This record gives sequence, structure tokens and C-alpha cells, in this order.
Amino acid sequence: MKTIFRHFTHCIIAALLAGMTSCKEEGLGNVDDIPGLGGDVWAEGPIDKWIQDSLVAPYNISAKYKWDQFEFGNMTKNLVPPDESQVIPLLSTIKKAWTTPYVEEAGKVFYNKYSPKFFILSGSNEYNVESGSITLGTAEGGRKVILFGVNLFKIKGMQGYDPGRDSSFVKDWFLHTIHHEFGHILHQTVFYPVEYKNISKAYYQGGNWINWSDAAARRDGFITAYSSSSFDEDFVEMIAMMLTEGRAGFDKIVNSIPEGTSPSGVTKAQAQAALRQKEAIIVAYYKNTWKIDFYSLQTKVRTSMNKLF
Amino acid sequence: MKRSFLYLLFLTTVFFSCENKDDTVFEESADVRLNAALASYEKQLVEAPYGWNAVIYPGGGGSYGFYFKFDDKNRVTMYSDFSDAAAAKSKESSYRLKAMQTPSLIFDTYSYLHVLADPDNEVNGGTLGEGLKSDFEFSIYGDSLSEDRMAFVGRKNQSRLVLTKATQAQATAYTNGDLAKAVLFNNISKYIPYFKRVTLGANTYEITVNQNTRTIKMTWLNGNVPKTFTTSYYFNPTGVAFVSPLVNGSQTITGFTNITWNANSTQVGFSGGGASGVVVSAIKPLSVDLAAARRWWQAPVESGGDWRSSMGFHVNGVDDAFKVNDLKDDQGRPYWFYMYSPAFNPQYDAFAPIFNDEDGIYLDNGHAPAKPTFTADGRAVFTQLGTFGVIPAGGAVDKSGDLLFDPAGFYLIQTSDETYDMVSAKDAKSWITWE
Repeated sequence: MKTIFRHFTHCIIAALLAGMTSCKEEGLGNVDDIPGLGGDVWAEGPIDKWIQDSLVAPYNISAKYKWDQFEFGNMTKNLVPPDESQVIPLLSTIKKAWTTPYVEEAGKVFYNKYSPKFFILSGSNEYNVESGSITLGTAEGGRKVILFGVNLFKIKGMQGYDPGRDSSFVKDWFLHTIHHEFGHILHQTVFYPVEYKNISKAYYQGGNWINWSDAAARRDGFITAYSSSSFDEDFVEMIAMMLTEGRAGFDKIVNSIPEGTSPSGVTKAQAQAALRQKEAIIVAYYKNTWKIDFYSLQTKVRTSMNKLF
Repeated sequence: MKRSFLYLLFLTTVFFSCENKDDTVFEESADVRLNAALASYEKQLVEAPYGWNAVIYPGGGGSYGFYFKFDDKNRVTMYSDFSDAAAAKSKESSYRLKAMQTPSLIFDTYSYLHVLADPDNEVNGGTLGEGLKSDFEFSIYGDSLSEDRMAFVGRKNQSRLVLTKATQAQATAYTNGDLAKAVLFNNISKYIPYFKRVTLGANTYEITVNQNTRTIKMTWLNGNVPKTFTTSYYFNPTGVAFVSPLVNGSQTITGFTNITWNANSTQVGFSGGGASGVVVSAIKPLSVDLAAARRWWQAPVESGGDWRSSMGFHVNGVDDAFKVNDLKDDQGRPYWFYMYSPAFNPQYDAFAPIFNDEDGIYLDNGHAPAKPTFTADGRAVFTQLGTFGVIPAGGAVDKSGDLLFDPAGFYLIQTSDETYDMVSAKDAKSWITWE
């Protein structure tokens, strides 16, 4: 009994102390106009209006084209902002070849729920001088996508457009990046069937992918060299390649795998079968998980791209 | 005991925590002052009625002239001396002021200013991944501002940007295309001979322009003593502006004005130092560096290296006139550089293209000159002692050898601590750059 009482007194003293330490509540008082709070502001122009009307209002997607160093992960890189004349052509291309096909196939609710919400544009490429590579785009947490090389982008009707060079550039660069990153968002939301991982299990290269060519990777049953880096990259590279190449283009790639056995011991038939199995799983995954007809989506993406180039 | 010590600690917090008085040194808070500063900087930029003359000194070196006109809707219109097109036609882009670690001026969409900072080396001839190491985000320091002058420091590469208030006449000059007329000076690179001179008043100067580093070197004779002066330069609507002035006795040259270019006679003319002149070509240096040829030959012997040229000979206005860059060796390996190796062995030197692949570097065929003769008037004269391998007749190696063994020989012009231009003494229309 005594001990309990003693504990009580301690508690009371502690409570008393706590009461004394908490000072009189004051309001926030005078809060000054903190510069930059709520984001940067500037006099809005036609590009800002286009983004507002075409992306923010319908899809709640914002696109930052004015320079903000802090949006870019690697602060040591030298980059430049986009040229204003490049912004609308690039964004409308992405809208036509990515947004519209998905909205038409899966509906606005699906698209608005899963699409990344922040696009950040860099005018120049990001050069990785030591490895000799170039960063095309990056995605963070399924919310933010950074696109590099915006000033190099050209489509039909723009000055200096060269169909041979520029169509593959835009396809492999911007559209591939977007479809790739969106693929990540989908499988991070609902995982793909685990059988996918077993198809080429023995042949993944990990970080060594950079030393592979696409042609060599295809002989092992990967659609691109980057595919061979991990299960997830394989899955989204398949999605990006199938959508941007179209069904005929994809078939052509599969059929072009040469005779013979690859250095890893994969035969032509095995490599082709692996790519076909992966294709089948993706088509089924889109159907079962997202109620999307993949081949119809593929047709829509390709049709819109054909109009641009 | 321990416990009461704890209570004591608690109590001390009680007495200290409620001291809650804001005593600031300044009358207004940091945010209020920051907003006021940003507003005043923007006001100063916008309210210059005729815009600003600007010079940027990129972190990577050089100096470039610009003109900016800011408006109050975050728009800026500019001219730049970096290219003929940018000097002739204005471009509009955006800017904003932002509070970062310091108040900052950001040119936030692509403009002529960004051309220098572009990491794509094809845009500006700089380094891949860095460009010319220039800037488009600048820190503003209040003590670097005055009514007619604003100086900023680049946030990434520490370039300096200096704005001076333009006059109405200057603004009109930009819109009239005067900057485009000034950059006609760049045509000085079209002179066929290596050496160029201009006489301004009583003085004759040899003029050497490096358009990549934006430097001008002037050489003159003071009696018989050669004097040299080197400065960075940029363009403004009146012509070429020197970053530092040349003072030669009573003549002071701060730049060149009234630039003219006659495409038919390939002649650049200008005024400077109170006089006018036309640049004429010369077949030999104004003052020959008599020891240069011997120094050039000796340097690799001492260091154990060799001289290398990526472009081979420049002849009659054509870079790599013999197309050494297209050479392949008998195994199909690509050309890497042309080599002159003094004292290649005790009997002879080597002058030959070098090829490379992953495994190594290769000498397939070329010439073996004897050690050159160094003449009293400063030339190096080369003679052939033998050859390496079989030199295809009429090919790039054959032609390069023929030129090297020209009996008139060559002047060696030291262009930096470790580079020389070797210029034909016959007519100064051929040269090769060794590095």
C-alpha cells in the first residue's frame, strides 16, 4: 500500500512539472509572406495555359518546363532547361501516344488513378561521361517522371525534321521511357504472375546488361539488353517495346532472331518461345488485372505514332 | 539522491522554456527583407529603359557579349555574340527571381545564354557533359550592385555575369544589327596565310586570334625588342571589345571598331588606338623566335614523349588537307594521330600516322627524317633519311612527307606551354599543330 502511494506522488509531481513547462499557447502571430511558399510564380503565358487545359484539368498531371535545379536527382550534372518552342510539341506527342490510348482503352478513372503526376523536362541530355552513357528519363515513386533531351525532340512538321533519324529517336527515347515507367507503376500496384520470372530465370545479367547488345540479349530471350537486368525491368521493357513497336514490329523482332545457339546455350526456338510466353503473360495480365485489351491498346498507340512521323 | 537530481533537472527546464521574447536586430523579419530585395532587383532589371549590355565570363574561360531587355512579365529578349544568327536575330525566353540560399536570377527557359552552358558539345564546341562550363542561374549579392551596373555569380560553374545599363543608342544599335556587323571580325579566320598584320598609326602589330578561347594576341617591335600582349575579347555593337586594354607608349587600344569585311579580297578592316587599318597577311612572323625550332625538337627528347597532331596539315585554308583522318592501316585499324618523334632512334626521327585498337598502338608506314637543320634565322629544315614500311604513292602519308621535306623549312610558333604550330616558311599557307 505504501509503495503504491509513493508511486502516486511521483506521478503527481511529474504531472505538475509537465503542466508548468507547457507555456501559454500563442497563435501563429504574424507570419510573413514567405518567398516561394506554395511554389514559384510567374506571369503565365500560352504554354502555361496549354498545360493547364490539356493536362492539369483533365488528368491532374503537371508539367514543369521552367528550370528548377532541385527537381533533378543528380545535382552535379550540367543540364539546361527546355526551349519554350519544344514544350507543347513534346507534351502533346506524349498525350497522343500514351494518354489517349490508355484513356480510350481503360477509362479516365483508371488513367487518372495510376498515371504519374509530375513531368519534369530538361532541355539537354544527362551525360554520364565516365560510363559513356546518356540518361533518357527517370521515374521516382510512380509520381514523377523526368524527361531529358527535350530540345532534341522533333516530329513531323517541325523545322529540320528528318524522318529517318527523328522518328526512331522519339520512339526509343520519349515514348519508350513513358511506357516503360508506366509499366512499373502497374506492376508495383498489382504484381504480375510469378510464372513470368521462371521463363528466362537462368539468363538474367544483372548490372552486366550494359555490356550486352539488344541483338545478343534477344538470342537469350530478352527483348532488349536492359530487359536482362532484372525481372521487373524485363517485364516493363516488354510492355514498352510491344506498345511502341506495334504487333507487327514486335513479331518482326521475334522472327529476326538468328539460327543457332547463343553463348548462354539458348536455341533460336527457345528464345522465340520465351518472348512469346512473356507476351502471353502480359496480354493476360492486362486483361485479368486491368480489364484492358492489350492488342487493341497496342494498335491505338501505333496508329497515333504513325500520324506523328 | 539520484531522483532529486532528476527533479532538479526538470525544474531547470521549467524556468528556461518560457522565455519567449522576440528580439531581432533588424526592424523587419528575414522574409520581409528578402521579398523586398527580390522585388527591388527585379525592378532594377525591368526599369532600365533601354535594357542591359552584358558580358559573361564562363567558368570554363573566355568572354561573351550579350544584350538583355527584361520586362515585368518574366520575359527577357536577348542578342548574343556567340553566332552570326544570334547576333542578328533576337530571341525571347523567360526569367524569374527566386529566393534560394541567396536571392537568385534564373534564366529559366532556353535562350542564347544557355547555348554556352549546354552539356551537348556539338552545340558550343565545349566538353561533353559540361559545354563551356557556363551558367544560367546566378546568385545576387547586394554589394555587387549599383545603379548602372549589376554583377552576378553563377551558381553552378561560378561564371561571372556583368550587366551595364544600355543607352538608347546602344539599344537601337542591337536592333539595327550592329552586333552582326561586329562579328564579321570572325572572318579573320578565312585568311589563307598563317601570319596577319595590321598597321594602326605608327605601329604595326602581328595579330593572332583564337576564336575557341576568345583571346587576341598582339605582337609588335619596340625597337628590335618584340613585345606581346594577350587579352580576352567579346563583341558589342561597336565592334571587338578587349577585356584589358593594350598600352603601347602613347597608343592605347581598348578594342576594334568600324569592323569591315570584304569577301572578294578576303580582308578584315577596323579602327583601333585612334587609327584605322586593314589586316594583311604575311609569310613570316613579325619577330621570329629564333630558339623556338630547337626548343620544339628538344622538348620530347628530354621528356621522353613525342609530338602529336590529330588533324595533320592545314593547307590553303583546308583543315586536314591530306585527309589523314581517313587513313587505315593494313589491318584496317583506325587512325589516331600523326606523330613527330624527335630522336626516334639515334640515327633518325619519325614522322608517321599512328593507328590504334583495344590492344595497342601501331606504326604501319611513314617517314624517317634526319635530325632537322636549325637555320640561323629560326627555321627547322627537314630532310628524308629513309622510310618505314611501304608508303602508298599519292596517299595522305606520301603528301604529308612531301610537304615536310620542303626545302624552305618551317617556323615553329609556340602557342602555349605545350603546343606549337609548325608553319611553312615558303608561303605560310600550310601548317600543322603539334601538341
